[in-house]
Amino acid sequence: MNSLARTLAITVRETRATLLSVLRTPQFWLPTIVLPVGFYAMFGVALPHGDPKAAQYLLATYAIFAAAGPALFGFGAGVAAEREAGLIALKRVSPMPIGATIAARLAASMAVTAMSLALIMAVAVADAVAMPAWRWVAIFLLGAAACIPFGLIGLNLGLRLGTQGATAAANGLFLGFCMLGGLWVPLSQMPGWITTLAWSLPSFHLGQLSLGLSGIVPVHDIAAHIAVIAAISLLAGVGAWAGWRHDAA
Amino acid sequence: MPELVSSKFIGPVGLSIAQLLGVTKHRRSTLALDRLTLDLAAGQITALLGPNGAGKSTIVALLSGQTAPDAGTVRLFGGDPQRPACRARLGVMLQEAGMPRGLTVAEQVALFSGYYAQPRSLADSIALAGLAGLERRRCSALSGGQQRRLHFALAICGQPDFLVLDEPSTGMDTDARRMLWAAIRAEAARGVAVLLTTHQLDEAEALADRVVVLDRGRVIADGPTQTVKAGAAASALRCRTALSAETLRSMPGVVSVTSEGSRSVLLTTAPQATLRALLASDDAVDDIALSGATLADAMSRLIDTSTQKELAA
Repeated sequence: MNSLARTLAITVRETRATLLSVLRTPQFWLPTIVLPVGFYAMFGVALPHGDPKAAQYLLATYAIFAAAGPALFGFGAGVAAEREAGLIALKRVSPMPIGATIAARLAASMAVTAMSLALIMAVAVADAVAMPAWRWVAIFLLGAAACIPFGLIGLNLGLRLGTQGATAAANGLFLGFCMLGGLWVPLSQMPGWITTLAWSLPSFHLGQLSLGLSGIVPVHDIAAHIAVIAAISLLAGVGAWAGWRHDAA
Repeated sequence: MPELVSSKFIGPVGLSIAQLLGVTKHRRSTLALDRLTLDLAAGQITALLGPNGAGKSTIVALLSGQTAPDAGTVRLFGGDPQRPACRARLGVMLQEAGMPRGLTVAEQVALFSGYYAQPRSLADSIALAGLAGLERRRCSALSGGQQRRLHFALAICGQPDFLVLDEPSTGMDTDARRMLWAAIRAEAARGVAVLLTTHQLDEAEALADRVVVLDRGRVIADGPTQTVKAGAAASALRCRTALSAETLRSMPGVVSVTSEGSRSVLLTTAPQATLRALLASDDAVDDIALSGATLADAMSRLIDTSTQKELAA
C-alpha cells in the first residue's frame, strides 16, 4: 500500500474510533444538540407566532450556531482533556500522521453538527418554512463546513490551555460568536458598534453567507465574507500548528 | 497461547537501531541531557537507570519523537524520530499515558494496530499483554495495572523493531509483572531492540543485557549488567554508626558511603580492612551486616562517586 492510501485508511479508522468515542459520551453531544434546536423552537417558532419569515431567517443563522458548539467544544475542551489525560502523547509517539486525528475530530464535529441541524430543519419544516430543496442542502452543507474555522479556533485553545481553562474559553468564544455575530438576534436590531465589531468574527461572515443561501435577505460582499473566513481559518491553522510544536518542547 | 517468537527477520543482533549523538537538551530551563551519546542495538535489552531528573524520560521523549534536541543528533532507523514515517517500526509505552473514555480494549488495540504496516493479530496482542477476557471492557473502566497492560499491548501491537518502555511494570502485580518480563524477553529474542527505564533494580537485573546509569544528564556507567554490578563494588557493609560520612569514606577499601534510613551503607573493595577500621574507630557501632553488592548498591556508589566528583570540581 502506498503511503497516501495508508494515511487515508488510518484517517478512516481514526474517524470511526473518534465518532464511536464521542457518541458514547452523551454528556458532550447531548447539550450541543439540544441547545440549538430548543432555542430554535423557542425563538424561531414559538415567540414569532408562526411568522415563517422569522423562522426562515433564524434557520439560516442557527445553522452556524449549531456548528459553533460541537466544533469549539470538541476541539477546545476535547483536545485539552485528551492532552491532559496523556492521550495526545500516546498518539504523538505512534506512527499515525497528526493530520489523521485532526480530520477525525473534524468529522466527529461535523457529525454532531449534522444531527443538530437535522433536528432544527425538522422543526422548520413542521413550522412550514418553505424553500427550494437546493437551499436546504446548501445551508446544511455550509453548517457542516463551518466546523472547519470554528474547529481550528478551538484547537488553539485545546493545545494551549488545561481542560477547565479551555472549556471556559470555548464557552466565552461560543457566546461571543453567537451573540455578537448576529446568530441569535439580527445585527440590524443591535447598536452600530456591534455591527462594526462583527466584521472580525467568523460567525458573522458565516451567518451572512447562510442568510444569502436561504434567500431571505439579499447578501452583498459574498467574496469579502469568504475571504475573511479563509483568512481567519488560515490564521487559526498557523496558531494551532505553533501550539502543537510548542506542546512538544 | 500465541506464538511468542515470530519468524519475522529484523536484522543481525547488534545492528545499530537508534542513536543519540552528543545530545544536549534543556527542559524547563534545567539541563536534562549534557552532550550525551548512546547507541542502541537490535536484540539487546538496555536498562536506563538513574535517580529522578537524571535524564531517563528526556531520552525516551527524544527517541519517540516527542521533542527535538537543543544540540546534537537523534537518529531512529536512520531518520528523524519526529517524522511519523520514522516511527513506523517503533513501539512506545509511556510512563504517564491516558485512556480513551469511549473505546473498549479491543477497539483501542485495533485502532493502534492500524497505524502499522504489519501489525500482530488482535488476538495475539491481547494475549501477549495478558488482557484476554477484557476485550470488551471500556478502557476507562480498567484498573491501574490493567491500564499498564493495555499500554504494553499498544506498544507491541505493530510488531515493532524497537521497543521503548518507560517504567513498564509500575502498578502491576507480581503475576502481571512476570508475564510482562516474559513478553519483553520474547521480543528481544525476536531481534527487537528494547530500551527500558526503571526504578526497580531487580527488574533491570532480571531483564537487561546492558545497563546504562545516568546522573544529571550524563552517562556515568555503561556496560553488561554483570560488569556494571561487579565493577562498582565487591561488597556492601551496612551498619549503624555515629561516624560521619567523611570519616567512613576515608577508611581503607571504602569507595562510597550512602545511607539507608538510619543505617550507613559502605561499599568496599576490602571488606575485612574496612570492618577492622570501623570497629577500631567506633565502639558503639551496631547492627553490622556484610553482603555482596547488588545492582542497587552499584548504582548508589556510581551516583555517590559522581556527586563527589561534582563537588570537588
